[in-house]
Amino acid sequence: MLHGKQLITVEHLADGDKLHPVQQAMVDRNGSQCGYCTPGIVMSLFGLYKNHSNPSMDSIEDSLTGNLCRCTGYRPIIDAAGIACQGGEQDKFAASAPGIVSRLIEITKDKTPVGILTSQQKYLKPLTLTDALRFRKDYPEAIVVSGATDIALRQTKKKELLKEIIDLSDVQELKYFREEPDYFQVGSGYPIESLRMASDGKIPALKKMLDIFGSLQIRNLATLGGNIGSASPIGDTLPFLIACNAQVELKSTNVVRRCSIEDFIIGYRSVDLFPDELITTVFIPKPTPGEFIRSYKVSRRKNLDISTVSAGFYLLSENGTTTDIRLVFGGMAAQPIRALKTEKFLRGKPWTDKNVHDAMQILISEFTPLSDARANAGYRNLVARNLLLKFFEESKGQPS
Amino acid sequence: MIHDNLKHDSAHKHVTGKSVYVNDMDVSPLQLAGRVVYSPLAHARIKSVDFADALRVQGVASILSAADIPGANQMGPVIHDEPCLAEAEVNFIGQAVLLIAAETDEIAIEAESLIRIEYEEMEAVLSLREAIDKNLLIAPVRFIISGNADEALFNAPYRLEGELETGAQEHWYLETQSALAVPGEGNEMLVHASSQNPAETQAIVAEVLGISKNEVDVEVRRMGGAFGGKETQANHVAAWAALLANATKRPVKIHLFRDDDQKITGKRHRFLSKYAIGFDKSGKILAYKVELNSDAGSSTDLSRAILERAMFHAENACYIPDISITGKAFRTNLPSNTAFRGFGGPQGMAVIEQAIDKVARFLRKDPAEIRKINFYGIGSENRTPYGKVVENNRLHVMFDRLMASSDYMKRRAETDAFNGLNRFIKKGLAITPVKFGISFTTAFLNQAGALVNIYKDGTVLVNHGGTEMGQGLYTKIHGVASAELGIGPEFIKVTPTNTSKVPNTSATAASSGSDLNGMAVKAAIDTLKSRLVPVACTELQKAGLNRPDPDKIVFIENKVFQAGEPGVKIPFDQLIQSAYLAQVSLSATGFYKTPGIHFDRDAGKGNPFYYYAYGMAVSEVSVDVLTGEYKLLRTDILHDVGDSLNEDIDIGQIEGGFIQGVGWCSTEEIKWDNKGRLLTHSPDTYKIPTVNDIPGDFRVELLKDYPNEGTIRKSKAVGEPPFMLAFSVWLAIKDAISAVGNHEVEPEFSLPATAEVVLMSIEKVKSKE
Repeated sequence: MLHGKQLITVEHLADGDKLHPVQQAMVDRNGSQCGYCTPGIVMSLFGLYKNHSNPSMDSIEDSLTGNLCRCTGYRPIIDAAGIACQGGEQDKFAASAPGIVSRLIEITKDKTPVGILTSQQKYLKPLTLTDALRFRKDYPEAIVVSGATDIALRQTKKKELLKEIIDLSDVQELKYFREEPDYFQVGSGYPIESLRMASDGKIPALKKMLDIFGSLQIRNLATLGGNIGSASPIGDTLPFLIACNAQVELKSTNVVRRCSIEDFIIGYRSVDLFPDELITTVFIPKPTPGEFIRSYKVSRRKNLDISTVSAGFYLLSENGTTTDIRLVFGGMAAQPIRALKTEKFLRGKPWTDKNVHDAMQILISEFTPLSDARANAGYRNLVARNLLLKFFEESKGQPS
Repeated sequence: MIHDNLKHDSAHKHVTGKSVYVNDMDVSPLQLAGRVVYSPLAHARIKSVDFADALRVQGVASILSAADIPGANQMGPVIHDEPCLAEAEVNFIGQAVLLIAAETDEIAIEAESLIRIEYEEMEAVLSLREAIDKNLLIAPVRFIISGNADEALFNAPYRLEGELETGAQEHWYLETQSALAVPGEGNEMLVHASSQNPAETQAIVAEVLGISKNEVDVEVRRMGGAFGGKETQANHVAAWAALLANATKRPVKIHLFRDDDQKITGKRHRFLSKYAIGFDKSGKILAYKVELNSDAGSSTDLSRAILERAMFHAENACYIPDISITGKAFRTNLPSNTAFRGFGGPQGMAVIEQAIDKVARFLRKDPAEIRKINFYGIGSENRTPYGKVVENNRLHVMFDRLMASSDYMKRRAETDAFNGLNRFIKKGLAITPVKFGISFTTAFLNQAGALVNIYKDGTVLVNHGGTEMGQGLYTKIHGVASAELGIGPEFIKVTPTNTSKVPNTSATAASSGSDLNGMAVKAAIDTLKSRLVPVACTELQKAGLNRPDPDKIVFIENKVFQAGEPGVKIPFDQLIQSAYLAQVSLSATGFYKTPGIHFDRDAGKGNPFYYYAYGMAVSEVSVDVLTGEYKLLRTDILHDVGDSLNEDIDIGQIEGGFIQGVGWCSTEEIKWDNKGRLLTHSPDTYKIPTVNDIPGDFRVELLKDYPNEGTIRKSKAVGEPPFMLAFSVWLAIKDAISAVGNHEVEPEFSLPATAEVVLMSIEKVKSKE
């Protein structure tokens, strides 16, 4: 995965005896106590330093969400970030950056696939879609990854040996966002963080979900195709995508087909995908007049947490009457699921407080969610019910 | 010259990745990886163990069972009820049964998969309620009684009763438990430990190996966080690594995987407490009767002392004339619970603080008013239930200052107005006090030693019994030594804690690290100075000072001179050379014991604390009425550290302790399934605060100009007390829930107040409206 990239570690930052500005600020502002999390924090601050000048509090917090510290209470680290990233001074990497970048670009011009093949493990890294589809056909059992933010845990935590891996992370043809007249077309390899920025002002319900998707480090690696393909019952983008009737394009070496995401997900972490196919494109319809779309994520901790209950709601109304409604929930069943009974009750009825409250009574018993480490079933049902009320309240005063 | 602004002594190494932790150490190409094979069942008889196939795996050096332990199969720190490796029976999921040493972790894992252990499952007790119902006491019931609570409750104008559950908490030190054992000649064993208590680690290692303590050397440079979790339970990995090192005669390192650490090790004790509180119409508390029941887990560990500290803090900052405190610790089939910042204090305090909250709601008053009128008095109403008189009471001055600086009254009005206008978001506000007793309540533990060496070039080595876990103890000691010797900190080095430099030390715990070790270091330096003064007189005379007065010699800014005669001075390093040539010893030990600490456990009376540390916090939250989620909007803290030894470090302890407390009160929920399997065993299900969870507006002040007489440089301990400031957040959440019912319905509440607990409570309030 490091092919074509420069690896910089915490040991690399100081310039001889002179600390990097982010390191110096951490010392000056007492940002370390036990020190165990500090290298990670310093590298996150280094990323912030290189990408922002005078970052907002939101940017600072976002850059640190993926780093847990148990000692400091974070306040001195936030202070250090503010001081180090004021801009002005050039760090030691600034001078060498153009040279390194041009050398890296040179490396990536060669589109010959990269492979590491041992007796125990095959790692295949195609650099074009054609090669990717060929590998997929030749190695139908291989695990397909891009950022591997989910799959990697099988190796690091469960100590599994993943025998065949196809890594799509450098297939540039899959990394794009295009606005068409009726929909947004997104490459399956488009990173979540890029999508978050692209959706700003364009797809607000998606943006809201992506703002609290994992952490910056995870969002930089994770892709939209990966989030759809893993088909988790608590996948952050899925309720929204199903609610707005998004579609995926699936390709093999000789066939292209399209499928709604609702139909694509067929069970617990299970999708309608042939062994030689890859998800290549996601089509997200643009909102049209009369539509109201929202997403929600309820979790024990607001950031860097897996949802207890998530939801994507779509309402199409005309003169105050519900023409169409799709209420999609995560965390309520083995896969993202629509509240079909509740939808049926609401369809064709006036979108009123009374009808919504009646619908809530249906909704609370529509699902039989699990009680697990995150929450009990009773809480999940209450939240699902209440989110409908929240949706109704937020829809008030919206143009329809 | 007081270096009260020294940066953390390892800050430079932390930010460059150069700090060394146990897991960074590779001492020999022969070093092996150790692994613990533990019980998958909460209670079972071991029928058979077969590891013949595992032993045949290439790269496996040794597999040990209880039968292979050369010394005592025991690692209970106080009560010997905790086997090092299970023999016939396992009593919790995570109990060590076998140990593997192999060339790599991967080989050890492969070997483990080939081990077959047959168990016969037995009935397990997994809930504290069940343990209480079955009366499974693990220690004698304890009482602290003052006056006659039953009679006073009967006579009180009003009386409320209740029950409170407070949850367990995972330490979540970033560095999991680790130890590296290196065998030496003969029986010698060197252990690099991540332990708050090197002397006890040394003792347990010696005992399991069946050798004497002088054969075992334990060194601790630093820990990657501990918080109490490495006070006794760091001994376990050290003992396991030492057994494997002894068996293989090769260095063995054990570094637990995160999930294993969470499953195997003990946590903060969960409590189920029952109480009755009697009061008059002004809100003055007349009587309080409380029963504190703790879940000790499968063995005693420190549960007795933790329960005792909970009892000592049952009334927190309140003077209550008639009070009865009962403490019971129960045995369950869970990992043995252990020390965690606050050491029972938080569990005891939570009950009274939310009881006061309940009294206020009952009387339709602001809880701040009820707290104030019940504070310990100055001059009267100042005797604690255990007989100690509360002196140097800072509660009143801190309350007045914080109410003003936080704008409490104005914000109370604003909160009420906001809640009147908003149906789906409610705000809550609360002020809570902390009065925390400082000292080990086991009196003899209040002792510390130090070793100070001055070398011929004038540089100084300082060693003491305290350990560095991030709290900045080494830095504070560095500052103390620099100030006492009158030389710059650059000439002083504080070196790793080591049982062969300073023996028989107590754990670095009970917030006492700098109190005890600072005084011991000072004592050593005083000894050295008393030897150096005659040399200085001789040298000053040679330099032209007429008849130097030994009583007036001072050590300031790397110079030695007679007070009032700064014109004639000798550089410190030159004085040291002269002392060496004059055959004066330049190495000294120092010793300190806290005066006057005693406690009679049977009578429940005595003086268990040297002094109290005080703190107070105001927090404001907003709660989403539809989901139970909440946001911490603002916290104002005023905290008492006496004359600070290092303000930056003290503020770091206050902020960090508070946020850790917020975690315990809010998102850190621990769950087991009905077989006793831990469900929340990794960071994806166990949620400590992130950077986003700290108050949007966070203001921390130290109480200035209130020196603490009788301690090192008039300072106060700071490690634990700020943890309990988090009750302000917990009760602000309760205040917001209460606003849903217009403060007319008492919300059901427990700790942690997860979004789930909050929403369920809101639904109940709504249904009673």
